[in-house]
Amino acid sequence: MAVIKEFTKGLWQEMPPFRLLLGLCPTLAVTTSAENGLGMGAAVIFVLTLSNMLVSALRKYIPKTVRIACFIVIAASLVVALELLMQAYVYSLYEQLGIFVPLIVVNCIILGRAEAFAAKHNVPDSIADALGIGLGYTIALTFLGSLREILGNGTWFGMQLFGDSFEPFKIMVQAPGAFICLGLILGGMNWLARWQNRRKGSEFVSIGCQVCGGACAACAAARKNDKES
Amino acid sequence: MGSMVRTVVVLTVLCSFSGFVLSYLKNVTAPTIEEQLLINVQGPAIASVFNKAENNPVADRHVFTRENGEKVVVFPCLVGNRLTGVAMENFGKGYGGAVGVIIGFNVSNDSLAGVGMTTLKETPGLGMRVREPAFSEQFRDAAPPVALSSRGGKIDAVSGATISSDGVIEAVNKANSVYKELKPQIVKQWNQ
Repeated sequence: MAVIKEFTKGLWQEMPPFRLLLGLCPTLAVTTSAENGLGMGAAVIFVLTLSNMLVSALRKYIPKTVRIACFIVIAASLVVALELLMQAYVYSLYEQLGIFVPLIVVNCIILGRAEAFAAKHNVPDSIADALGIGLGYTIALTFLGSLREILGNGTWFGMQLFGDSFEPFKIMVQAPGAFICLGLILGGMNWLARWQNRRKGSEFVSIGCQVCGGACAACAAARKNDKES
Repeated sequence: MGSMVRTVVVLTVLCSFSGFVLSYLKNVTAPTIEEQLLINVQGPAIASVFNKAENNPVADRHVFTRENGEKVVVFPCLVGNRLTGVAMENFGKGYGGAVGVIIGFNVSNDSLAGVGMTTLKETPGLGMRVREPAFSEQFRDAAPPVALSSRGGKIDAVSGATISSDGVIEAVNKANSVYKELKPQIVKQWNQ
């Protein structure tokens, strides 16, 4: 049961870009189309699963003092391997994702899950955690990519959706569109979480605040708002 | 002391293992990656240079060796089994790094058949415009060596992007000297 719980938490409760606010740089940069989002997500699942597995398997042998260096070596090797494989077998995707494939090394999700989870749990749990978080990341990226592609280009996975009369919002596929979209999604999710919590009568915790325990300025402001309304 | 030794040993083993695995993988994927690069990067440029080719220039490529030992990949263009042109890649110095250009030559009169860009990291909207036909079509049927019109040649630079335009010119002229040197070998290779 624990395995299933570790898997499902990544899909909503701890969805990386929307709930934990991890891995935002590639989230904003590559989601110009649904296909790119899906491809980036798949690449992250590959690296994250293997790195979690290796870190968890080696956790008893890695000395505490050099654990970060060891995690980086593992992640970097996996990313280089992924880069070579992508170049050899899915070249067009490799070209699309460009610089963001090598940057998976420093994607905070990889290091974050290695340090916060894999280094403290057994191998099956770590794999379940990686698959869940990775899948959550993929879903989030594909969703954001779809939204931007549909609004900014009038297509979805390259399929034409509207007639010629549709004038696409070009801004949505450019950098500002990513910020606007992400901001609106986060706002929507905060609103949803607040509404749910009020119904259940529990304390509201703002997105990205799972660790602050309600002590930060954003949570205080949200509480104040809550009382007033 | 003991923990320090352990730290060193673990890191050394981990790094050397990762190095070993990656070098093995690199060797295994190298031929496929080279093929992919030819198809995806050089293929379209070659196709734009030779629109009349009846063969597959990428599949029929041949590697020649220059006098100084440098290896040059040459792509032939055959029409009715006769060699009409050859193309090769060369590089010039651009604004954002090396400018990769595929340069085609007409074998009959040694003029340029055309140019196509492969690797470009120039400024979007400025240097990147060397891709546009307005610039690259000037090379079709021109007699090498070429020069910019500001230096007494016949090629008009992309306005605001003299460095990028110069990079293309440099690549063309370098390829021209390679072509001159290799021409006897090239003719022997494809025209029996």
